Amino acid sequence: MSGDVVIARASRAAPRGRRSRAPGSATVTRKTPPFSADHEEAGTVRGDGRELAVPWCQVTARVARQVDFGAGYLWLDLDVSSGFEPPAPGQFVQLLLGSTAAGTFLPRPMSVAGAVRRGRGLRLSFLYAPVGTGTRALARLRAGDDVQALGPLGRGYPIAAPGTPVLVAGGRGVAPLLYVAAALARQRTGAAGANGAAGEPGGAGIARLGAGTPRPALARHRATRRCEFLFGARTAPQLVGLAEVGRRIARLEGALHVCTDDGSRGMRGTVVLLLERLAPGFALPIVIHACGPHAMLRAVAEWAVARDIRAYLAMESVMACGTGVCRGCPLPRSAAGIAAHSGAAPSLLGNREYAMCCTEGPVFEARELDWTRVA
Amino acid sequence: MSGAAKPARPDLRVRIGGLELSNPVLVASGTFGYGDEYAHVVDPRLLGGVITKTVTLEPRAGNPPQRIAETAGGMLNSIGLENVGLAKFRAEKVPRLAALGATIIASIGGDTARHLERLLSELADLPAIAAFEINFSCPNVSEGGARYWTEPRRLETTLGRLRTLTAKPLIAKLSPDVTSIGELARACEAGGAGAVTAVNTFVGLAVDLGSGHSRLNRETGGLSGPAVKPLALARCFECAQAVKIPVIGSGGILSGGDALEFLAVGAAAVQVGTASFIRPRAALEVLEEMRARLAGTGARSIQGWRRALARHASDPEVGHGSGPSLVQGRAAGGASAPRGGPRRAARSAARGRAR
Repeated sequence: MSGDVVIARASRAAPRGRRSRAPGSATVTRKTPPFSADHEEAGTVRGDGRELAVPWCQVTARVARQVDFGAGYLWLDLDVSSGFEPPAPGQFVQLLLGSTAAGTFLPRPMSVAGAVRRGRGLRLSFLYAPVGTGTRALARLRAGDDVQALGPLGRGYPIAAPGTPVLVAGGRGVAPLLYVAAALARQRTGAAGANGAAGEPGGAGIARLGAGTPRPALARHRATRRCEFLFGARTAPQLVGLAEVGRRIARLEGALHVCTDDGSRGMRGTVVLLLERLAPGFALPIVIHACGPHAMLRAVAEWAVARDIRAYLAMESVMACGTGVCRGCPLPRSAAGIAAHSGAAPSLLGNREYAMCCTEGPVFEARELDWTRVA
Repeated sequence: MSGAAKPARPDLRVRIGGLELSNPVLVASGTFGYGDEYAHVVDPRLLGGVITKTVTLEPRAGNPPQRIAETAGGMLNSIGLENVGLAKFRAEKVPRLAALGATIIASIGGDTARHLERLLSELADLPAIAAFEINFSCPNVSEGGARYWTEPRRLETTLGRLRTLTAKPLIAKLSPDVTSIGELARACEAGGAGAVTAVNTFVGLAVDLGSGHSRLNRETGGLSGPAVKPLALARCFECAQAVKIPVIGSGGILSGGDALEFLAVGAAAVQVGTASFIRPRAALEVLEEMRARLAGTGARSIQGWRRALARHASDPEVGHGSGPSLVQGRAAGGASAPRGGPRRAARSAARGRAR
């Protein structure tokens, strides 16, 4: 429902293939993939090719494996059934444990670190550190266990936006950017003709065998652009999954740039300093895709706004529902964000003063938020 | 049960004030948006009714972050009555929910009786709204919140004034944080309320030990979830003892069994709230579990099930509970099924749909 309502109101033309809800049916109707070629022409509120919402559902997911990823981090693979739409990079999934015995009641919003088709369903991957009650409970899951997965939720990164994708990760914020890197790699192979559908605009990074052919101009553009990956942390061990990032960047023929606060690996300093040093060498325009602690995101946002560079930042918030209903995850809008907010915007999004992290985010463009009031 | 024929579907219809509901499972205000947000996973026609997010005269942006804090078996919220305001609610939200075929109970909230009167007079003429719930109990606003509405006389006179503005049922949603909720319920009954809802969230607090600050934007918030169910059940029981009008139970209902506990102690209907946040289909799951459990007992209606329970409770051979019976066998207001039988109800439901 939400997808339909949002699209109908936000777009100049409703995309093909979406249909209004079946009133008699309590189940999710099968719809077109959230990112179809139509969307680019149809336009969205932001005009950056990102959709406002996609049809989510809640399904029982099965733990395929849970492995140690080093530095206290775990990698969790979940298999979900065919009703679950492929997430876009930057979107998140609410994971709910079956029992409240572990002291948790609410589901945990987890950004997707990877998604691949597996049979008729999907395998979703998550990278996390068991630091709170919820994530410690997740850490006890073993292969074969069940968990409720609700998603995909929110809006992701505009990976199809023209320009050089500059991925900026801080510590565990690397999780969604691993998925961005995978999606960009698939875009390249798609653009090269190996798999047409993977190159679809805003593509979720999910290979869709046998789907349409990308438009030649877009394909050429994507085949030639190079990805820059900036990875920072306080210390070398906190560069979570550095080897995995390296592998993915190699596939992209991109470049990996590392920094640590203590200089134990790569440049000594923050990712913003690294960005400042490297940016003059990047092919313009650049589009920043960042995830990390809010303090880092604030610094990246301020850097980008001062240079008129587009930056998309994945925010975190305590959440209850994750779907816009509970109104529990407000983020303060900037003056520009307030000016851009349409009073006609669907109520699942935020209001004039606050954006909702779960429905308008978690990925926001730097100018949308008042960073002085972001906690 | 082996070899027995499949039990008949129990008649779940209930009456709240003059309003007949197809079943006693409602969704609580503020936990189901304006009813359309969950429509792709919950057909609102299957619910007894949808209580919409509390609407105020003007739009409200709500409280700053943090608005949510998880606690053991529940959550604290301090949303601050964020809502689209009367004009948009009337022009957009009500028509959309009506188009989905939902039985709409509009929740209204105001700082004063005058605000509530203005809201009600603006909304009373909308045929799509079947009843009103008056939020006398929001714990998260500085004016017109739960504290303001704990005066029995104020409740009674306010409801008396609202009563003159519409013939539709007025449901008073009460705060549990009072000395005697039964006294408030009686004041509402005297003022002309068609029903009371027991209860809104409980005032709660959580401390961030790193800073010594509240984990919410304000000192306190409203506690909901399974943690509050026994508390809510006791308030519901107290209200049901105190008044003849129907009582709608609310607080921590996650399952059909939870809902039946409320019905057993005298609730005419129940509201599923926070459960929808963790499982969007929770209200329908509660309804189906409740239906299955009732069918399993052989009961043909809620009232019949309650009577059977009361009989069992007085039978030492059957009753297993060690304490006194809590079962309210009374036919309080809406607790009984409407006359006319299922066929007539089906006809009237069909008429309602054709509208």
